[in-house]
Amino acid sequence: MARPMGPVRLKKTSPATLAVGAALCIFILYFLIGSSSPDFSASRKATAAAHHLSPPTSPFRRSTGGGKPKPPPVARYNLNNVTITPDPLENRENILLLTPMARFYPEYWDNLLRLSYPHELITLGFILPKTKEGNTATTELQKRITKTQKYGPEKDRFKSIIILREDFEPPLSSQDESERHKMHNQKIRRAAMAKSRNSLLFSTLGPSTSWVFWLDADVVETPPSIIQDLARHDKPVVAPNCFQRYWNAEKKEMDERPYDFNNWQDSPNAQELAKQMGPDDILLEGYAEMATFRSLMAYMHRDDGHRHEEVPLDGVGGAALLVKADVHRDGAMFPAFPFYHLIETEGFAKMAKRLGWQPVGLPNYKVYHYNE
Amino acid sequence: MLPFTSSGSKVTPRHHVSGYSNGYPRGSTFDISPHRFQPRGTASAYRSRRTQSFVRLAAVAAVLFLLILLSWSGSSALSIFSLGLLAHDQGFQLETTRYYDLSNVQGTARGWEREERILLCVPLRDAEAHLPMFFSHLRNFTYPHHLIDVAFLVSDSKDRTLEVLVEKMEEIQASEDDKMPFGEISIIEKDFGQVVNQDVESRHGFAAQAGRRKLMARARNWLLSAALRPYHSWVYWRDVDVETAPFTILEDLMRHNKDVIVPNVWRPLPEWLGGEQPYDLNSWQESETALALADTLDEDAVIVEGYAEYATWRPHLAYLRDPYGDPDMEMELDGVGGVSILAKAKVFRYGVHFPAFSFEKHAETEGFGKMARRMEFSVVGLPHYTIWHTYEPSVDDIKHMEQMEREKLAQEQAEKEKAEKAMKLKESFGDATGQWEKDKSDMQHIALEEKKETAAEAGAKNKAAAGEAEGEAEDKTGDKVIAGKDGEKDRKT
Repeated sequence: MARPMGPVRLKKTSPATLAVGAALCIFILYFLIGSSSPDFSASRKATAAAHHLSPPTSPFRRSTGGGKPKPPPVARYNLNNVTITPDPLENRENILLLTPMARFYPEYWDNLLRLSYPHELITLGFILPKTKEGNTATTELQKRITKTQKYGPEKDRFKSIIILREDFEPPLSSQDESERHKMHNQKIRRAAMAKSRNSLLFSTLGPSTSWVFWLDADVVETPPSIIQDLARHDKPVVAPNCFQRYWNAEKKEMDERPYDFNNWQDSPNAQELAKQMGPDDILLEGYAEMATFRSLMAYMHRDDGHRHEEVPLDGVGGAALLVKADVHRDGAMFPAFPFYHLIETEGFAKMAKRLGWQPVGLPNYKVYHYNE
Repeated sequence: MLPFTSSGSKVTPRHHVSGYSNGYPRGSTFDISPHRFQPRGTASAYRSRRTQSFVRLAAVAAVLFLLILLSWSGSSALSIFSLGLLAHDQGFQLETTRYYDLSNVQGTARGWEREERILLCVPLRDAEAHLPMFFSHLRNFTYPHHLIDVAFLVSDSKDRTLEVLVEKMEEIQASEDDKMPFGEISIIEKDFGQVVNQDVESRHGFAAQAGRRKLMARARNWLLSAALRPYHSWVYWRDVDVETAPFTILEDLMRHNKDVIVPNVWRPLPEWLGGEQPYDLNSWQESETALALADTLDEDAVIVEGYAEYATWRPHLAYLRDPYGDPDMEMELDGVGGVSILAKAKVFRYGVHFPAFSFEKHAETEGFGKMARRMEFSVVGLPHYTIWHTYEPSVDDIKHMEQMEREKLAQEQAEKEKAEKAMKLKESFGDATGQWEKDKSDMQHIALEEKKETAAEAGAKNKAAAGEAEGEAEDKTGDKVIAGKDGEKDRKT
């Protein structure tokens, strides 16, 4: 269209455009600031380490961009002052929650977020295998972590999170339920599991942890107050009972059944069996070929029983386990070799006992395993 | 789109337009013209006022919003002005998530080229006296300092170990020399309620060994578990009382690329004890005798090496030393000593530690060696690569040395007394000689006079000569006694 012989109009900015622009600017600013720095309260900032070379159980201030980096400061830690008491909440004790993970279950993460213990006192540690499956799980885990740590409300955010990748080849490619539980695969699988647990534990424990809470990646339901509840017992090693919910076809309703059989009290039969074994053989629980007649905590559960009833244990499972950090610091670890014919978590219980720490179990305090 | 065209009229009111009709704005002129066409672009005064107030409102709202945002998030105004881009430059940003791939920290033969980090672990107890020596070693390490993280455990110390440690370490970290400061420094305090006395005798007495070793093991485990990080490739254990060691020891041991490796540890001795001696007897190879012995002991017993109570007949690394042997020669070991251990961090990550209980009848570093072997790690020692522990005299040595000191003092005392006596003797004899001389000259004088008097009195003259000879003889005997005493002293020293 031919422009009429009119004036060349220098367009005046409309006030409406200005307003829209200002609003946009604010939104851009908001997202720039909001997304790049998840802000933390002063108390959290105060506990942060000044350098990235620091215990991973605390967050750190990201190193300054420009200039020469300063050498790390001389850090002093007085382990005499790290308390481990029946009331960790009152004493603001640090929890290290450790999970060896092969698959990521969103329910697991949701359950973590529901924990009522202050999240600013909980450090999460994960170790994942370097397989295709492990990569997938890592990606999913990182997604959820970002969502919680960057965009979530501050009360949901954990103190710090450590993700480790294993440095050894996983012994089995398949994580299928049936394949995993085959007896001859058990020793190799559990030795690898033990290495995984130890790698996770000894590279994250640090100088300020009071309690180590082991929670398997497939435990998807625990009481929100589980940390306080287990700590209340003031025992070196406390194991709740691990059950599984399932669809009972006979009763036509949801039901639950015992799942973890590694929590047990020793029997003369098992000791007799052990005596006849070679030095590299291991005793396993839950296999018909090897009748140990141990008393399993899984079957000690009573619906009308007291929730905080304790029983002494000689072997523990790793599904959920609250351990005083001192027990691990003294050297109690998960043997990746037959230790008194026991391996991994069961060997751990034995080693703790050798160091003078008696594990206990809570038959009526239940956590639930994922149903595959 | 221009306002004229939007008006829908093709008739351009060339002479009536108040605005830009002639190509430039005439905003200040005012034209009263009731029949004038009003283009849409010049909005009514009412409307323009309304929009302006809207803009103001929006601006106020924006500022308020920002302020609320500020106070709500607790963020500093600075980060707003820098648009959050400079946030981490200001050190405001917290990083809560860490990701580590452990396959990147396996440890290789040439760690210093691959920037592999070492954790240097030093357990300390009442070690103030040894610290200056230790820090001179620390400063002299040739392995890149920024790749070494140092962790100390100070337990049950009654001297100023902690204060001196902090002071010296801060001095190093603040060093002007770029190559001097180390990586992460952790100084950990933990008291285990030490019941065992720390003096040499009670420390090395047989009865105290099992309990002492278990306690040491706990201390080592506490130190390691508090200081090991996912970025460590190596862990080096070093005792504070090493007197002489090559500055290149980290590289020298690392070059062998073994899971666990120890050098030979000797100590210098005073001349009267032979000059040198094997020190660390905890590095050994297992023997049939020892295995048989282990079977006879109860579950909690701990075999300790180097005591007559347990004759194990094991080949010891220490005794195989040849001062002129190849320092790179390796020897497989089952038990190791803790004076200087270089191990790959994965050994500890996989769970090998210093058993604070009887593990296969061993505890602490010997149990560590055993456990590492149990997990199929390589454990070797270098028989001809030697470092030197300080010499702390044992109670017997001290007694012996005190005895020697006393003898020496007694000797000196005796010598002094003798010398004084001799001096006195000499002085008195010297006086006597003078007297004799005087007497002699007097007598000679008298004799001469007498001679003059009578030449026949030869008998008296003879008597005087005999007396002189007797005096000289006595003088000589005194000299001989002193010389004899000197000789005796020489023999004794």
